[in-house]
Amino acid sequence: MTLRAAFEARVGDFALAVDISADDELVVLYGPSGSGKTVTLRAIAGLLPVASGRIEIGGRVVVDAGAGVQLPPQRRRVGYVVQEPALFPHLNVRRNVLVGVERSAAAHTRYQQLRAILHIEGLDERRPHQLSGGQQQRVALARALVRPTEALLLDEPFSALDEALREELRAELLRLRRELGLPILFVTHDLREAHLLGDRIAVLDEGRVLQFDRRDEVFRHPRSRRVAELTGVRNIVAGRLEAGRVVVRGLALTLPAGAPAALQPLGEGSALDVGIRAERCILRRLDPDAPLPPNCFVALVVEDLAFGNAHLLRLAPEGAGPAVLVEVASRPYEVLGVASQPRWVVELPPGDLQLMPAG
Amino acid sequence: MSAALGRGWLLAPALFALFFLLPIAGLGLRALTDGDVASELRSSDTWRALRLSLATASLATALAVLLGTPLAYALARSTGRGARLAAGLIDLPIVLPPAAAGIALLTVFGRRGYLGEPLEELGVSLSFTTAAVVLAQLFVAGPYFVRAAYAGFRAADPRFEGVAYTLGLSRWRTFRSVTLPLVWPALAAGAVLCWARALGELGATLLFAGSLPGSTQTAPLAILGAFESSAGLAGAVSISLVLVALALVVMLALHRVTAAPGPYR
Repeated sequence: MTLRAAFEARVGDFALAVDISADDELVVLYGPSGSGKTVTLRAIAGLLPVASGRIEIGGRVVVDAGAGVQLPPQRRRVGYVVQEPALFPHLNVRRNVLVGVERSAAAHTRYQQLRAILHIEGLDERRPHQLSGGQQQRVALARALVRPTEALLLDEPFSALDEALREELRAELLRLRRELGLPILFVTHDLREAHLLGDRIAVLDEGRVLQFDRRDEVFRHPRSRRVAELTGVRNIVAGRLEAGRVVVRGLALTLPAGAPAALQPLGEGSALDVGIRAERCILRRLDPDAPLPPNCFVALVVEDLAFGNAHLLRLAPEGAGPAVLVEVASRPYEVLGVASQPRWVVELPPGDLQLMPAG
Repeated sequence: MSAALGRGWLLAPALFALFFLLPIAGLGLRALTDGDVASELRSSDTWRALRLSLATASLATALAVLLGTPLAYALARSTGRGARLAAGLIDLPIVLPPAAAGIALLTVFGRRGYLGEPLEELGVSLSFTTAAVVLAQLFVAGPYFVRAAYAGFRAADPRFEGVAYTLGLSRWRTFRSVTLPLVWPALAAGAVLCWARALGELGATLLFAGSLPGSTQTAPLAILGAFESSAGLAGAVSISLVLVALALVVMLALHRVTAAPGPYR
């Protein structure tokens, strides 16, 4: 099944314009709070009128603003799960799940299956306040899936759970995604969650989709400086295109193969932004007798933050080259003996460089 | 705190509490010592007034619930400026002195009123009828229900309704199965308050409906009438006693409703 949503909506002063789609896959809507993720889901669910555009779910047109079509939420066949409030507090688990489909034999059968799939057997008579947060979310999922559903909309469903439980439910959602064969839109502001779950990721900011791509594409090739910032790229510096290389603070960087094609529209001397993730920078021991390899420069550790599993090092260039943040996992940190001396060679591998229009 | 100040400071609060308890005790004492009270309690006039009060207050409350629930819901769910203004006006009849409310009702529904006069020509007369009693009570007491219901609906997360719609539940089914169970305690508390206020209504009723025994003389009006008549204090005390007993029942009912385990617990 497929979900296609290209529309504009308005809530008070907030304007939203999105164009996203999902086949039988999990699409993450990622962005800071206030970027329009929840508004997008509400509009698709039919809880918010759309000003213009079209929404198709499972091949049915549920919104065609131009033709005056806006199906009510009752007829859109979407499962909508939010963190709070997950369940109706006055109904027990069974009645929560089967509310509105009490007389459907198919729904009862489906409920029996879902109880096993979602591990909520034996909870039928419990009230929501007698369930753990994780159980509540599982029941909410069962409730969304017990009726004919053609798309699943999940609005930060795990954000209020503790970390261990969140990990467990994420893993289960990944498994469920394959079993369901449904388009799933998953809203989150958690970067790790977005990376773990998303087949494709739509990066939202201020009511606009900045980039909508396969996950690795978004993380490796952010389309703009803002996308790079939002997806956790810690090093973004201004550069200039010179003779097929990018010069950053006096350091000429070799570009990844294929990059020149992307830079085609940019002429010699054009300004652009160069990004590299802190964990993709390489720290090498300084060999005073050998010349510096390409894309390397000497820098001094000026700050060392220990996060347990990794160290975040702030390095200041000794000569040419940018100031950078470098993340080193704790094991290589110890093997290299980073703490023992301040002068290091930083390598910015060509394949990990992200080139973006100057912003 | 009490250790530092001693117990002496408790005297003032105790006296103030007595100020409320003593008059009620006085009513009881008077009933026990004054033989006329007992005979007045058995008089048919007393019970006629009480029956009228119970009937009209109950009818006014039923109307307030029936008409006030949709109003409170609409106000609570609207986001426009007009709705916010209207919600602010809910309290107006509550702060209006009842006598002014009675006059206000007369200007519209009285025989020479803006609506009363055309109605009169159609053969419908409202003022100084039992219907006028109900109208006066509805006008004065209805807002207590609407205000409580409004607060209840505001407190019920509208996202519950959104989720219910996506589950395929119609608006009406959602209201019945999801919203109403969530706000039921607020509605019940509002209805009890409304009923109690309607039962005690005096000023607006007197001006708009008069005090005709059997048709518009409710219990509070009967107290006033008895007090001014030859029966004197005995008649007034007997009806007051019954009203106090009713008030106690209402208070207990309200306590039960508000202390009932809500859906969240």
